[in-house]
Amino acid sequence: MEPFTPKTSISDAGRKVFHVRGLTKVYGMGQAEVHALAGVDLDLHAGELVVLLGPSGSGKTTLLNNLGGLDVPTAGELRYRDFDLTCANETDLTRYRRDSVGFIFQFYNLIPSLTARENVALITEVARDPMPPEDALNMVNLGARLDHFPAQLSGGEQQRVAIARAIAKRPEVLLCDEPTGALDVRTGIVVLEALERANRDLGTLTVVITHNAVMAEMADRVIHLSDGRVLSEHRNAKRAAPSTLNW
Amino acid sequence: MLPNLDRKLLRDLNRMKGQAVAVSLVMACGLAMLIMARSLIHSLESTRQEYYEAQRFAEAFAHLKRAPNSLAARVAEIPGVATAQAGVAVMVTLDLDGLDEPATGQVRSLPDFGQPELNRLFLRTGSWLSPGSRGEVLVSEAFAEANNLHPGDKLAMLLNGRRKEFRVTGIVLSPEIIFEARPGASLPDNRTYGTFWMPYKEIATAFDLYGAFNYLTLTLAPGAELRPVLAEVDRLLQPYGGRGAYGRADHPSHIRVSDEIRILQTLSIGFPAVFLSVAAFMVNAVLSRLLTLQREQIAILKAFGFTNRQIVFHYLKFAFVMVIGGAVVGAVGGVALGNKLVVMYHLFFRFPDLSFRLDRSALVMALAVGAGAAMVGVFSAVRRAAKLPPAEAMRPEPPANFRPALIERTGIGHLFSHSFRIAVRNLERRPAQALFTVAGLALATGILIIPNSFRDSVTELLGFQWDVVQRQDMNLGLVEPASIQVRDLLRQLPGVIAAEPFRGAAARIRFGHRSRQIGIIGTPADTQHSRVIDGKYREIVLPPEGLVVSTKLAEVLDVKVGDELTVEFLEGRRALRTVPLVGVCEDLTGIAAHMDLRALNRLLGEGDVINGASFTLDMAHRAEFLHALKKIPRVSWVGIKESLRENFRQTTAASINLIQSIYLVFAIVVAFGVVYNNARISLAERSRELATLRVIGFSEREVGAVLITELTILALIALPIGLLLGTGFAKGIVSAVNTETVRLPVIFTLHNYAFATMVVTVASAISALVVLRRLKELNLVSALKAPE
Ligand SMILES: Nc1ncnc2c1ncn2[C@@H]1O[C@H](COP(=O)(O)OP(=O)(O)OP(=O)(O)O)[C@@H](O)[C@H]1O
Ligand SMILES: [Mg+2]
Repeated sequence: MEPFTPKTSISDAGRKVFHVRGLTKVYGMGQAEVHALAGVDLDLHAGELVVLLGPSGSGKTTLLNNLGGLDVPTAGELRYRDFDLTCANETDLTRYRRDSVGFIFQFYNLIPSLTARENVALITEVARDPMPPEDALNMVNLGARLDHFPAQLSGGEQQRVAIARAIAKRPEVLLCDEPTGALDVRTGIVVLEALERANRDLGTLTVVITHNAVMAEMADRVIHLSDGRVLSEHRNAKRAAPSTLNW
Repeated sequence: MLPNLDRKLLRDLNRMKGQAVAVSLVMACGLAMLIMARSLIHSLESTRQEYYEAQRFAEAFAHLKRAPNSLAARVAEIPGVATAQAGVAVMVTLDLDGLDEPATGQVRSLPDFGQPELNRLFLRTGSWLSPGSRGEVLVSEAFAEANNLHPGDKLAMLLNGRRKEFRVTGIVLSPEIIFEARPGASLPDNRTYGTFWMPYKEIATAFDLYGAFNYLTLTLAPGAELRPVLAEVDRLLQPYGGRGAYGRADHPSHIRVSDEIRILQTLSIGFPAVFLSVAAFMVNAVLSRLLTLQREQIAILKAFGFTNRQIVFHYLKFAFVMVIGGAVVGAVGGVALGNKLVVMYHLFFRFPDLSFRLDRSALVMALAVGAGAAMVGVFSAVRRAAKLPPAEAMRPEPPANFRPALIERTGIGHLFSHSFRIAVRNLERRPAQALFTVAGLALATGILIIPNSFRDSVTELLGFQWDVVQRQDMNLGLVEPASIQVRDLLRQLPGVIAAEPFRGAAARIRFGHRSRQIGIIGTPADTQHSRVIDGKYREIVLPPEGLVVSTKLAEVLDVKVGDELTVEFLEGRRALRTVPLVGVCEDLTGIAAHMDLRALNRLLGEGDVINGASFTLDMAHRAEFLHALKKIPRVSWVGIKESLRENFRQTTAASINLIQSIYLVFAIVVAFGVVYNNARISLAERSRELATLRVIGFSEREVGAVLITELTILALIALPIGLLLGTGFAKGIVSAVNTETVRLPVIFTLHNYAFATMVVTVASAISALVVLRRLKELNLVSALKAPE
């Protein structure tokens, strides 16, 4: 595929990556109409680590899916740099996801028939400026488990492979939907460390959805969603290291 | 009201209707084949049996030169003989308006008054001969149709050299000529050969046989054995020029129908078995998938107190819906195909009424076999589910275990792309599913090979027989052996380029306890017409002494070159000689024994005589030549190569085309069905994986490639196996028809293989594309959600 956008570098830090205004997403019609997003205004900047909080059903996942180009909004503005996500076609969206976005899911979603290394290599082979799969796996401390299949890895290890897979292409955005939701505390911290490190070393804009308010301490910025709107947001003076988080 | 569990069944079925239909259709193919073949066997066997009984078809037959009628009474007294019927059967030349080539026929006698005891005729149209009539004739239906003869038409024959006109009173069928061909010929030519019936008095008088007979048929008393009766008949007829009695098993018409039944029997077992096992697996695959999806539902049902038995029964019902669907389509299809094929038999076989008769037991068998196949399919899948403790079933299935595929462990793994890796590892993890998809595709490929191979074999046979062996344009037989000088007379006929004489002599060849009755053909040693060819298509020059026989005859007699054969001539002075076997030759129809003309005449001890000749003609003078022939009274029969060939080509082409279109439909259904089933299951089981690939940036096309790679690998494995399988099928069927009448060479052409490969590839590709269209509906967001 054609290169999509120029890559960011750490020197871009602070530049606006997402421009979100009046973002609305309506599911269903008539009686069954659900306003998952009801006018979200938001700017996200390069290099930031953002934590999204909110009660169940508040629209966090919906927002993330719209940012990631998995879903198109019903109304409002949604731009990734100069790329208008509201009216992009399928091919452009695919290219956008391939080149610019790294996804991390609650249930890891590795390809079960590929080893850790191959799961990562799958992406690096088609990415524009990837790092070697081994380096990505080293970053998440899995250098010793390169040739293991997902079924041979623990949940935390699988999630770290998923992070390696997401960061190996040096994406500009890392979108994580409850990345520790299926993990215990200790494992969760190891995963968060991997995420934090990727954000720090690569300068990747990282958005993390969580139900765990404690995790907000590791963020640059915390955004609260409620009923499809931004309820509040605040900036942490200092990011706490994941290992110091107290569940 | 519908029980709730059944309502669930209907909804599940509706969701999986594509796959349920695919399973039913593959099953229907197997069942249709089974029902069609069994019913055709039933139709042919029962129709023939009823026909034989109604018309009192004889059980033993004997031709002889001439014996007084009183001898018939002695034959009737042989222990074990129920009825003996003596009559006259003679070869005549016909003179038909509108037919430029000479036609010949066999005239048989009917009692002057009343019905014959045996081999009664069936009157199709017109009327019987009027009692004591003269100048009237009954005509066989095949000949009448080919020559557009109707009751009331006139027909001229040369009876013993005298031309006489007859009025056709009726068109008839006889149990003796269900398959009608000139004696010794393996291919029918109804235009130039027919059978006719006249009152004994008229035909016997014309041939100076009044008060005598030359053809004897008889039936056996209940429980009597055939062999001793034949031996006794031979002993009695021997002084009267008996040519050896034979039973139904050697009766040319009877053999042909039996051969056909045998082919059908092969078909009725082999194919349905493979089709049904593929269908059984598809049932299994569909249900396994359903059960995986419904683990929780099953757990809940069990938690609510449904018993294992109820749950197994519930899913069995699911399978039975598919079986019943398959059985209904299969039965309708089988009956429709059977009806079409029965019409095809009318080209070769003449029965008063050969209509399709459904073999009801086949229907029951089909249902039972289909249900059995489904049960096998359901059983393993359902048992797994039933064994689940409710609590365990509530949890999602553990992640699948994978390992590097065998082929990667050879050390060339790094050469493979990721989609190839995903594909082979998935295939290795589900070997049974892969195996049956391969089996289905291979079967589809294999059955396509058969009709084309048959067509190619027939073309080869015709080419061999009529281009390599028979270089002449025409053969001619004389009524009686004549001096070799006749040859010079024949050479002077208009348009003749070359004429070669031949002498045919009926004989029984014996080696050890094996024997065959056959016509020995004597030709000039270096004959250029009826050539004697070896296995490598080289011409054999006949040695001045000894016999050269066809490979098949050598096999039947179990002789090899150098052995001494006993030859008992069944005509003339009935000499008994010992002759060495000096060579074997290749021929594809009939069994033949060749000899140098002079050597043969020496053995016969009748001087230098011939009883026929072959010609190459200047086609520009063909009409004049044929016209001149019609005026030679001593000519008994004529065989023209081109018309035989054309006739045969048309009838076989029609039937092969029909069979080919049937197989084509089956192959397409199976290829489409198995690929559809496989792809739908992969798509369903791996929707999460595929959606993930889409989310992380792979295009629809790239994700489709993962599934396509898998199917391509399966197809690449299946196609060569299918070609081999088809080769085996075709060889099997061809060897089933490898009889003493016809031996089809086994021919496989590149074109044949290419066609089968193409059809299966295209059907599979279209099927895969139909399924892949569903990738568009893949819900990307669902990949982010919890696994179901
Ligand atoms: N495909 C859909 N069709 C209809 N409604 C939907 C769909 N997806 C989400 N919704 C609704 O939109 C609202 C927001 O859902 P969303 O998944 O974004 O919530 P969330 O904040 O991620 O919740 P949770 O914390 O439980 O994951 C919910 O009311 C949900 O029911
Ligand atoms: Mg959510």
